[in-house]
Amino acid sequence: MRLLLVEDDSLLANGLTGQLEGAGFSVDVSHTAREALVLGKQEDYRVAVLDLGLPDGNGLDVLRAWRRAGDGFPVLILTARGDWQDKVNGLKAGADDYLAKPFQTEELIARLNAIVRRSEGRGLSVVKVGGLELDENRQSLTLQDGSNHSLTGTEYRLLRCLMSRPGRVFSKEQLMEQLYNLSDSPSENVIEAYIRRLRKLVGAGAIVTRRGQGYVFDDQN
Amino acid sequence: MTRIKRPRSIRGALLAVLLPAGIGLMALAWVIHGLLLDRMSREFVENRLQDEVTFLEHQIRNVNGAIDALRTGDYFEEVFHHAFAIQTPTQTLISPTSWQSVLTPLLQSRQQGAIRLSPDGEPVDLLAFRRTFQLNGAAITVLVAEDMAALKDSQSALHTWTAIVSIALILLLAIIIWLGITLSMRPVSQLQAELKLLQAGQRSRIDGSAPQEFRPLVLQLNQLLDSLDQRLTRSREALANLSHSLKTPIAAVRQLLEDTDRPLDTDLRREMASKLGELDRQLESEMRRSRFAGPQVGKSALPVKQSRDLLWMMGRLYPDKRFELSTTLGDDDRWQIEEQDLNELIGNLLDNGGKWAQTGVELTLARHHGSLLITVADDGPGVSVGALDSLGTRGLRLDEQTPGHGLGLAIVNDIVARYAGEVTFSLAPGGGLMAAIQLPGTP
Repeated sequence: MRLLLVEDDSLLANGLTGQLEGAGFSVDVSHTAREALVLGKQEDYRVAVLDLGLPDGNGLDVLRAWRRAGDGFPVLILTARGDWQDKVNGLKAGADDYLAKPFQTEELIARLNAIVRRSEGRGLSVVKVGGLELDENRQSLTLQDGSNHSLTGTEYRLLRCLMSRPGRVFSKEQLMEQLYNLSDSPSENVIEAYIRRLRKLVGAGAIVTRRGQGYVFDDQN
Repeated sequence: MTRIKRPRSIRGALLAVLLPAGIGLMALAWVIHGLLLDRMSREFVENRLQDEVTFLEHQIRNVNGAIDALRTGDYFEEVFHHAFAIQTPTQTLISPTSWQSVLTPLLQSRQQGAIRLSPDGEPVDLLAFRRTFQLNGAAITVLVAEDMAALKDSQSALHTWTAIVSIALILLLAIIIWLGITLSMRPVSQLQAELKLLQAGQRSRIDGSAPQEFRPLVLQLNQLLDSLDQRLTRSREALANLSHSLKTPIAAVRQLLEDTDRPLDTDLRREMASKLGELDRQLESEMRRSRFAGPQVGKSALPVKQSRDLLWMMGRLYPDKRFELSTTLGDDDRWQIEEQDLNELIGNLLDNGGKWAQTGVELTLARHHGSLLITVADDGPGVSVGALDSLGTRGLRLDEQTPGHGLGLAIVNDIVARYAGEVTFSLAPGGGLMAAIQLPGTP
């Protein structure tokens, strides 16, 4: 399994290379952002480990450039900061997991295996309806204007359900199956609240209410 | 066109507005006074002249046109301070005779009523009243005139005096304005002086006796100074603690590495690793603590937006579990809590829930009677009721299998304490753990 390790600290890189190779990866090491950018685009890696603090640039910029170029290999980012906003930014830029330094090599290997497994069999699964793009892997929605919005679980499931068959009426009961509610039994008001929130994202005209029947996704809009 | 430069000081602005305004208004009052005086005196003189003409006419009628008889009346000399002329078809009478040259042309004119005469080049300025009436078939003209020059002289003397009084009033006004400004600006100067002392380091706060308009400013400034002070103290303490707890393990590891006689066997490696682990833990916990901002003026967060980001991220990190948001808040609702602090609160609770949940975690955000409520519930195994109270105690981990520093809930406790809020742990309806945070809505 080819792995790209982007890490500027040579002591850490050397140590990791040995241990990762011991775990069955064949490792390419890059010490700079520029080199990583080129390698990521040229070579065909199964997975990458990316340090965010590089001497000649930010790891997140490298990651974004990879994703823009269509490189979909899973990426685990290494960060020394580890506050939540940092992690959110990393994942939004296209990472699959993060690990805060210092870490134990076993944990790194376990996480790498997990994201490789998760990425297996996942192709380009994007639902495109009427200018909207729903990315199933990332649970995110891209609008006509190119802006990207992350969705929570239920929002994603509801929208995928509606977008999977544009023009078909889904009853509230059908949509309720997509709900997840821990504490109380879900009511129809909850569905209405979710639909309101989704309409804010996709536009009021995209999800049409059929009185007494349910909701329809209108792809003409 | 050059724009008027806005004065930089309050004193300057007040003087620049009040003084010219005062002077201008005074001048205007003086001008109006002059005009009114002029008009009033003229009307007054006119009325008197008319009265005298009427009186003369009455007298002439009494003596039946024999104007010579008038002269015998002894009080005419006293009553008529003015010049007068009477013309009958047979006779013309002008008194005093020195006015003859001026009054004769007036008698000839046909104008009736008040006549203002100030011919160019002649030193005569007079106001006359002329009336012609019939008596026994003969037209008799009566004319009374007053020399306006004398009146004008006294009038202008009065006007000059008014000007002098006005100027004196203006000076008085200027002094009062200056006094008023100086008096009302005194607290500001005091504030200025205190700020100087503050800068020089001779004070650590500003006295609270500021005028009402400045009280919020002083209050805010004092709060800022206090929080700065607290922060300095805190960060010094934290650094002292940190260096104390870091130096020892560093010394130990270095000593081990420098000892070339001792081989690096497995025990030694393990010992070094544990020392380094300790270093990391200490550093991490202090770092996190110093990152909390605590309640701050002018800081707010968008709870719904931040929660959605965190929930989405948790969904990526734990792909087989569901992370849901349930809230009545709008996307644009703001909470008076620092953004990163809120991230740490929700992030740590969600992460904890994510580790333990069987199928999902639910986050609830609400505002209740002004306080902010954050609830995170999972459907994991929960903890025993007896252990609920000890959750979030630093260094205590109830879990040994799931990776992590066990710091998450302790951090939550720290932040909530900083905001004077409350955390309660209980069992969720589904059997898992439910953490509820209540924060005061205003800092």
